Amino acid sequence: MGQDNFAPQKRSSTGGAGGLPTIRNEAGAGGRNRGFPSMPRGRQMHKTFNNIKITILCGFVTILVLRGTIGVGNLGSSEAEAINQNLIEETNRILAEIRSDSDPTDPDESPETELNPNVTYTLGPKITDWDQQRKVWLSKNPEFPNFVNGKARILLVTGSPPNPCDNAIGDHYLLKAIKNKIDYCRLHGIEIVYNMAHLDKELAGYWAKLPLIRRLMLSHPELEWIWWMDSDAFFTDMVFEIPLYKYEKYNLVIHGYPDLLFEQKSWIALNTGSFLFRNCQWSLDLLDAWAPMGPKGPIREEAGRILTANLKGRPAFEADDQSALIYLLLSQKDQWMDKVFIENQYYLHGYWAGLVDRYEEMMEKYHPGLGDERWPFVTHFVGCKPCGSYGDYSVERCLRSMQRAFNFADNQVLKLYGFRHRGLLGPNIKRIRNETATPLEIVDQLDIRRSVHGKTESKS
Amino acid sequence: DAHSKRVESRRLLEEAQNDAAQGDNNDNKNYAEFDIAKILIDEEEGEKEKPDPNKPYSLGPKISDWDQQISEWLKTNPDFPNFIGPNKPRVLLVTGSSPKPCENPVGDHYLLKSIKNKIDYCRKLLLSHPEIEFLWWMDSDAMFTDMAYELPWERYKDFNMVMHGWNEMVYNDKNWIGLNTGSFLLRNCQWSLDLLDAWAPMGPKGKVREEAGKILTRELKDRPVFEADDQSAIVYLLVKERAKWGEKVYLENAYYLHGYWGILVDRYEEMIENYHPGLGDHRWPLVTHFVGCKPCGKFGDYSVERCLRQMDRAFNFGDNQILQMYGFTHKSLASRRVKRVRNETGNPLEVKDEFGLLHPSFKAVKVSASS
Repeated sequence: MGQDNFAPQKRSSTGGAGGLPTIRNEAGAGGRNRGFPSMPRGRQMHKTFNNIKITILCGFVTILVLRGTIGVGNLGSSEAEAINQNLIEETNRILAEIRSDSDPTDPDESPETELNPNVTYTLGPKITDWDQQRKVWLSKNPEFPNFVNGKARILLVTGSPPNPCDNAIGDHYLLKAIKNKIDYCRLHGIEIVYNMAHLDKELAGYWAKLPLIRRLMLSHPELEWIWWMDSDAFFTDMVFEIPLYKYEKYNLVIHGYPDLLFEQKSWIALNTGSFLFRNCQWSLDLLDAWAPMGPKGPIREEAGRILTANLKGRPAFEADDQSALIYLLLSQKDQWMDKVFIENQYYLHGYWAGLVDRYEEMMEKYHPGLGDERWPFVTHFVGCKPCGSYGDYSVERCLRSMQRAFNFADNQVLKLYGFRHRGLLGPNIKRIRNETATPLEIVDQLDIRRSVHGKTESKS
Repeated sequence: DAHSKRVESRRLLEEAQNDAAQGDNNDNKNYAEFDIAKILIDEEEGEKEKPDPNKPYSLGPKISDWDQQISEWLKTNPDFPNFIGPNKPRVLLVTGSSPKPCENPVGDHYLLKSIKNKIDYCRKLLLSHPEIEFLWWMDSDAMFTDMAYELPWERYKDFNMVMHGWNEMVYNDKNWIGLNTGSFLLRNCQWSLDLLDAWAPMGPKGKVREEAGKILTRELKDRPVFEADDQSAIVYLLVKERAKWGEKVYLENAYYLHGYWGILVDRYEEMIENYHPGLGDHRWPLVTHFVGCKPCGKFGDYSVERCLRQMDRAFNFGDNQILQMYGFTHKSLASRRVKRVRNETGNPLEVKDEFGLLHPSFKAVKVSASS
């Protein structure tokens, strides 16, 4: 434990040169690059040229720095210092840009991206005794049980791409969506993993959830369920709890319609935007069977053609995880369907278009806790794609609706604190309850955490 | 019944497909061209609460028996204890940001701190959550950079407020940056309610805050001229009323409960080379706090760009500690891409992650007799 220096810890200031950190910026401190893949020849030449640029710049900056410290008459002149500072920073910026070889916005630059289509892609080494491994681990680690306070341990997994959205508004709604999930999970004792990394280059995009789910299952044997949720899905019923008791004999819980699946073979018969996987061997096996249509390139393209040919209503595009799962469950029905629960009694996934215009009506007639068409558990903004440049629907309609869903849910959280939003669109809130000197009476009535805790106790 | 529900849903699905096909009245599907300000308007204007300028500001009705109220509540609610382990109090991390998307910067953008109303939030949360033993306020521009470090809770058992800072700088120098309110702990008790009441009066926007700002600039060392902020206000309060509050305030500097980014971010590679997570101090800071950076600012301002690059590095520095649990790491501190550092195996449970973060002791659940 060391003592740090009394370094100036400027907290905020009124801007200008005085606001800049006074710590010297060492030239070339742009951060070491580690572990870059080797480059083809053209890039090597480019790199040599860059090296020359760097050398010249470093020399230039060295001279500047020396002038700054030794230069006659310049010591203590704050104007010269400020100019120096700017130049140094500008230089560092350039250096950093040059050094960071990989442009984060580039698609993958290494040449060996595409898999040999004759070799079946795998998510990892085959495991066949996961149920046993897990059981042994749990018995050896009683302080990490898979049931806590009578409830099965659930992990909510969600995420978004590592790069900023195409427009700031996309990032703003990612923030609102994660705040919404944080609120629900805090109330219900669920942990969250927010992933922004592509764990497997082959399975990028909507397929990225597969290696992620597998990885988390294997790293966390204490988890009973993994719940994947898309970044464009919002909780809109803060009270409703997933009725896990219904799923004791099942390993996959997913929203959909059996007739759309088996009779119509519709590509939207199930929705993979919000579903639960039990942490067990069966799930590992399903993930293994699901993955082969995913790898980027000719495999995914070809798989897309098969899916369009076999599923009703599916447009022509590369294979997506939802169509692939539907196709898998249809073609290997006997192997999997006995452990799949197709849920539509409540909106584990609720398609937004039919729901968002009814929020006022819901607030008038119903109450949270129902989870179904009267008060939807989840409102899912499929097709809006606010993180990209274009969506399938009008931008105004999407954003307006997302804002309404956010406020609709936030009102349920704010209620404990005595506030609600003025309307479903605007950011401002108003008081709905006066402050009191005995706040605990309200807490007893209104805290969602207390009411759900009471419920689960009686079930066990 | 189930059947009519299905029919209804199928209808919705079909409607949706038509929707997408026809396009709406307002056809714009391009996010770049859209002005969000069109949407974020309040429909119900109604009366905005205008405080009576003659009444002194107060956070709420005076409560003077809070310790007792909590104590009784905890007794009647044994399922929500305020300690979840022998040395582990129940802590609520509180943070926040503006409800509107970022705007372009204006000169007084640096004063955005005033919008946080952290004092109001703290009081409201303490009163609504008797099961919480400590509130931990953290500014939105602060990041965790040591994922393994656990706060030394036993050290604070006789204190009610913990901030990063130095006694000499506060009490002797009266320096406005002698402590930092960007990351602090507040115990849920009567003392804290009283402190919040004493802290709040300089806060109300407008004349009160302006005038208070002048006092603070006059009384505190090195403070520039601007309206009152919560940090200066509490330095002032502690200095003026040390006898009343000082005994229960712990100014912590053995680890970075708040770590000023300027002296930390360029050393991350050195830290990775020489040290490891779990130290929390200058060798591996618990928190890197981007004071003075305005992430909402526009590009072209170099200091803003330095801020952004360094925030990316700090984020990756912290994220690497999470990713290594699963066998990955960022390709560099500047890169958003990750690479594998541990192969998949058929026996995943034999793998131990380097810092024991997968199943750390501070996450262990008390083993009870019934299962």
